[in-house]
Amino acid sequence: MPPAKSPALRPSHLPPVELYRPADLGELLAHAADGVHLLAGGTDLVVWASQCGEPRRLAWIGSIDQLQTLDITSDRAHIGAAVTLSRIVRSGQFRSLAPAVVDGAAVVGSVQLRNQATLVGNVCTASPGGDTIPALHVHDAALDIVSAAGDRRSVKISDFVHGPGQTGLNTGEVVTGVTLRGLGQREGSAFSRFTQRNALDLAIASVAACLSFESDGRTVARAHLSMGAVGPTVLDADEAARSLVGHPLEPARLRNCADLTAECCRPITDHRASADYRRQLVRTLTMDVVDAAAERAIPGWLAVEAP
Amino acid sequence: MQVTLRVNGKLSEVPPSFIGRRLLDYLRAELGLTGVKEGCGEGDCGACTVLVEGQPMCSCLLLTGVLDGREITTIEGLPETFLAQFSAACAEYGAVQCGYCTPGIAVMAAWLQAGGSEVSAQPITKLLEGNLCRCTGYQQIIEALSALQ
Repeated sequence: MPPAKSPALRPSHLPPVELYRPADLGELLAHAADGVHLLAGGTDLVVWASQCGEPRRLAWIGSIDQLQTLDITSDRAHIGAAVTLSRIVRSGQFRSLAPAVVDGAAVVGSVQLRNQATLVGNVCTASPGGDTIPALHVHDAALDIVSAAGDRRSVKISDFVHGPGQTGLNTGEVVTGVTLRGLGQREGSAFSRFTQRNALDLAIASVAACLSFESDGRTVARAHLSMGAVGPTVLDADEAARSLVGHPLEPARLRNCADLTAECCRPITDHRASADYRRQLVRTLTMDVVDAAAERAIPGWLAVEAP
Repeated sequence: MQVTLRVNGKLSEVPPSFIGRRLLDYLRAELGLTGVKEGCGEGDCGACTVLVEGQPMCSCLLLTGVLDGREITTIEGLPETFLAQFSAACAEYGAVQCGYCTPGIAVMAAWLQAGGSEVSAQPITKLLEGNLCRCTGYQQIIEALSALQ
């Protein structure tokens, strides 16, 4: 056995925090109304508490059963606020329903972090490069929110995130989960990002696509494109998506669509990449994810020629 | 609030002063399990990896108080037979240089040997993405872990 209690050990980065473990939603809402921060996976929050000394009071949501539910029906999924990314990655049923979200969840952090981190936490952190957010956009996700008074509201994800680290959550409100639309017939979705490392890295740029086809299997019926890390929030590329609708997905049309996404994104230059580089990445990633989404919608879809 | 963990098979009641601190601090400072290393303290390096209910997690990002009733396994709790195999594989392939990442790698290796994966047919490189080796001996580590499977 190793020696007990060595006094020479370096003190923790993290001064002790006041921790609460509410047993039900009512108790959690009372803590939230009292200004206590909500702790889900802790992969962001515990780092902030360690490095900044804030927040000092945390209420853990993981012991509330109703927040642990992952409900999947034939056309929708509801993901409770305490559901980890690894539960999403491991669910074959969820993968069939929303493959782009699994693409995103599978590249967050590492195995260890995905075992701890939650999907709703990834959204509430509201990073412009949050890996699950573009995919949630193209799956028309909405946040389920409850207030201290018990009022419930549902907010579209594109209206929920206001800026880097900023959401539309009011003091005292709690996100109980996220509800998304599953794929229909002849519909596919995909997400891809570019990073300098393959893991434990933040996206330099990312794109998600959801595409459905008419019964002829060639004409695009509906399209949704969304881009990450190239604006203050995840941005929808509506004009680019519209350019695909009503036409067969031919290489020239796809290239034009990729040009439109590159035009409408609003990247900045920072220590990770220049704005121009990000724009070029968005163009390439758009080609990739539209192709991947089409392949999932109509397996055997003819791969698009290289740009 | 009362918090009791099962650490390496042994029940231990967490003193109130550790409930709002990291599992890493509890394991090292209170239980003396110094095989659990603190590298980055922000979940990137994996040196502090432990198994929680058999699943690898970073003990630097877990608050002890949220783990009531859970089973925690550190490198000290891995079976002797496994550790002998792991050491032999590391020696054979040269998978240890400074050794700081090794306890986290050992925990991951035990998880892999027990059939651990997220989805089927994942390569070891993907599963080991959360364990950094700054001596950059990855190739040897992957070879040693492949030999253990």
